[in-house]
Order: sequence, then structure tokens, then C-alpha cells
Amino acid sequence: MQLGFLVDLHLCMGCKGCEIACKVENEVPLSTWRLRVKYVDVGTFPETKRTFTPLRCNHCENAPCERICPVSALHYLDNGIVNVDKERCIGCAGCVMACPYGAIYIDPETQTADKCTYCAHRIASSMMPACVVACPVEANIFGDLDDPASNISRYIQEARGDVQVRKPEKGTNPHHFYVGGGNFHLNPLASRREEGYNLFNKITKLPLGGHH
Amino acid sequence: MIHETLAATNAVVTLDVAIPDVFWGWYVTMNMWAKSIGTGLIFMLFLLLRKNHSEANGLRTSTAIVAFVFINVFLLFTLADLHQPFRMWHIFAYTHLTSAIAVGSWMASLFLGLLTLLIFLGFKKNDAAYDRVLFWTTILAIPVTLYTAGIMAEATARELWQMPTESVQMILAATLSGSAMFILLAGSKLSEETQKFFGAILGLSALLAFIIYMSEYVFGAMKAEEVAAILQYVKGDGEYATMFWIGQWVAYILPMLLIALSRASNSASILKLAAILAIVGLWVVKHVWLVIPQLLPMS
Repeated sequence: MQLGFLVDLHLCMGCKGCEIACKVENEVPLSTWRLRVKYVDVGTFPETKRTFTPLRCNHCENAPCERICPVSALHYLDNGIVNVDKERCIGCAGCVMACPYGAIYIDPETQTADKCTYCAHRIASSMMPACVVACPVEANIFGDLDDPASNISRYIQEARGDVQVRKPEKGTNPHHFYVGGGNFHLNPLASRREEGYNLFNKITKLPLGGHH
Repeated sequence: MIHETLAATNAVVTLDVAIPDVFWGWYVTMNMWAKSIGTGLIFMLFLLLRKNHSEANGLRTSTAIVAFVFINVFLLFTLADLHQPFRMWHIFAYTHLTSAIAVGSWMASLFLGLLTLLIFLGFKKNDAAYDRVLFWTTILAIPVTLYTAGIMAEATARELWQMPTESVQMILAATLSGSAMFILLAGSKLSEETQKFFGAILGLSALLAFIIYMSEYVFGAMKAEEVAAILQYVKGDGEYATMFWIGQWVAYILPMLLIALSRASNSASILKLAAILAIVGLWVVKHVWLVIPQLLPMS
């Protein structure tokens, strides 16, 4: 079994329900996110639209975070999930430096690395990840990539040419796919970040011990 | 460069809570800088023993002590940079062998043990045993110097750090700072010819490192979009541009000029000034190269 995620960006409407559900389910501290929805405005008035991209850990088959972790705190589960052992983590931030998707952060409460685990604890109890349950339009598709009859496998077969992963050139083989994504959805360098031009301008950050 | 498409798409991020941040800051700069000096000193002592054995008399113990101090500074800042420093022992209890951090920790610990043995043998005045241990310490100093380049290479997200260039830069940083520190440490105990020899190592290390940085500065952007975006931070009026050029001048350009001047005028004082500048400048150079890839948004 190799669990994977697919987000149909045609359906996502940026409600952030998944983001909130993840926060609540995993008790993600203030100023950190396991899953977040990025808004990018595209075009010039009046031909403009707002796009939404849920971003979470890609659970790569060839995960740089797992490779660089000196104590195997980041490790593979049998179902392909890249999990974090917070009791073992020494907080070296090697994984933060290695992840090409910026999906790992240092938890300000435990001072250890943390990220999306595809709600591994829920999976173990045969439940869907919290973000999947919360999505009102079923834009988050979750399932077994090894099973050709699974929902996610059928979705990938049907969408074929429209299925993408983030930064394929990194060779990480993500288990997280997007359908209907443009360059500005998936490539962080394809959009500008302008100071003061943001829906939230003053984001408070919690202090991190050993964070210099 | 994707900027070319911006006029068409005019894509602007209007909400993204994950702001890029510097996780490896000046503590890690201290780590790399101190390690370069610690291992570089051992390289230089080894070279001196091969070049002129008799001149090493009186320098064995002092060199080992200074290298020991700098390696401890390196380890101290490594420990201080951890968010969970009291779990450092996990590296040895749960070693993950694909990690350059884990392998490097083992090697650095062994290196420290050998330095301790060298100091002991130095105080015992057992030069024969010292020189035998120094040989193996020098061999180990090579991977100890290089493993940080391995860590940077394993940082897949940071396109700027490539193993071939970073490994050469690590060795050059060691020969640059090692020769500089050795000139300051040994100073008048060395003959004029030997001082010039270490001055030449310093100058050539500076020249080669400078060439690599300039190559990356000019040509790095031509192969990878991310590298181009990262290098923008040190180009023009980029955030770190001033710091980058201060580093290049103080670590490389001025020492090269001063060494040429010291050779022409036979001045040991100018050579020492070049050594001091190289050591100070190396910190700045390392810091800029460490920080700039972390300024780039990853998602």
C-alpha cells in the first residue's frame, strides 16, 4: 500500500476548511501550519481571478527529509507515509533545509520538527485524514496508489495529462498530485510577493528556542 | 527565468502564511568557520613536517591546542544550534547512516579524540608517536572538512549548494584559514622561506575560492531558475549584496594583494595583516552563502 493525495484545483474554492480541520485535529500551534492554502491573484483588472492551492507534505517516495535526518526521526511507514517521531527529533532543522516544498517547520511548543503526516493516527483507525473529511467539494482525494481501483488511482487515470506534481525536477517522486494546476499554482517563483500587498500583513510568529 | 511570464499572468501572492525564514543562521556560520580553522591548522602542521621537519619543533603542541579549541568552538555552536540540544546523544544512539549530519558527527568526535591524543603526546614530547598520529589525524581532517558540504548537498531544497563546488570551497576554506592561523601562530618561529610558503598557500586558496564564487555569481544563473533567484539577493542592490562584496574583498581580494606586497617587500607584518583579513572575511563569505538560499520561498 502506498497512500497518496490528489487535489483537484478545479474544485478548490479556497475556503480553508482543510487548513482549519488540520489545525484542530493535530493541535498545530499558532504561527505554524501543516497544511495551508495559498492564494495567488492572476491577471490584470478586469480579467483577474484568484487561485487557491492547498499545500502540504508531499510524502515523497525519495524523501530528502528522511535522508538528511541524522536520527531517523523522519521515517517511512509501511503505507508510504513519511512520519515524524517527535520524541527522537533533535531539532537540527536539517529536514527544514532539505524539503523543497517548505512543508516542514519547527514546532514552537515542542521545539521539534513537524509536518503533515496524512493524519497517520486516523489512518491507523481506518479513518480519512481530517482535511479530506472537511472539504465541502471533495477536492481532496486520498487513497492507495498501488490499488488501480482506488478513487485516487481512477482520478489519475481519468485526468491523465492534467496530473502534476510540484518540482518534479528534484527527483523526489511526490505522492501528492494536483489536477488543473498552472505554473503559478505549483511554482513559487512564478508569482511575485509584494510587501504590504497581502490579505494578512501582520502575522505574529511565536519565538523558537535556538532559532537565531 | 519565470519573471518573463509575469507580464502575461501578473501572478501575485495575496495570501500565504508561510513566510520563508532563516533556520540556519550565524550559529551555523560559526560552526563552519571554526571547523575550517581547526582542520586547516592540522593540514598546515602536516605540510610543515613534510617540508621542513626541524621547523615544527615547538609548534606541535601549540598547533594541536589551537586546533582543539576551534574544533570545540565548532562543536559548541553545533550543539547550541539544535532546538533540542539535550538530545544530541540521539545522533550516536540512533545513527542514520544516509545522513551527512550523523556521519559527520561521528567523524568530528573521532577527530576531537585524536586532537586530544596529539596534545597528550605533545606534552609527553613523544614526537615520533605524535607524527604517526598526526598522519591519521590529517587523513581524517579531510572528510571532517568535507562533510558540511555533504550536508549542504543533502539540503535538496537549496539549489545553490552543489556538492562539487561546496566540497572544493570547504577544502579551500580550510587551507585559507589554516594557513592564515598558522602564520599568526607560528610567526617568527618560521624561516622567511617557510612564511612565504604558507603565504603562497593563503594567496592561492584565496584566488581559487574567489574564482569559484565569481563563476557562480556570473554563470550560476544560467542553468537553474532557483539559483538565478537566489543570486538576486547578492546582485545589484540585493539585500545581501553589500555583505557579499565585503566578504569577497576582505577574505580574498585584499589578502591576495597584501601577500603579493609582502613578498615584494619581505614584510612579515603585511603577511600577518593578510592572514587576519582572510580569517575575518571568511566568516562573512560563509555567512552570506549560508543565508541567501534560505530567503527564497519554497512553496
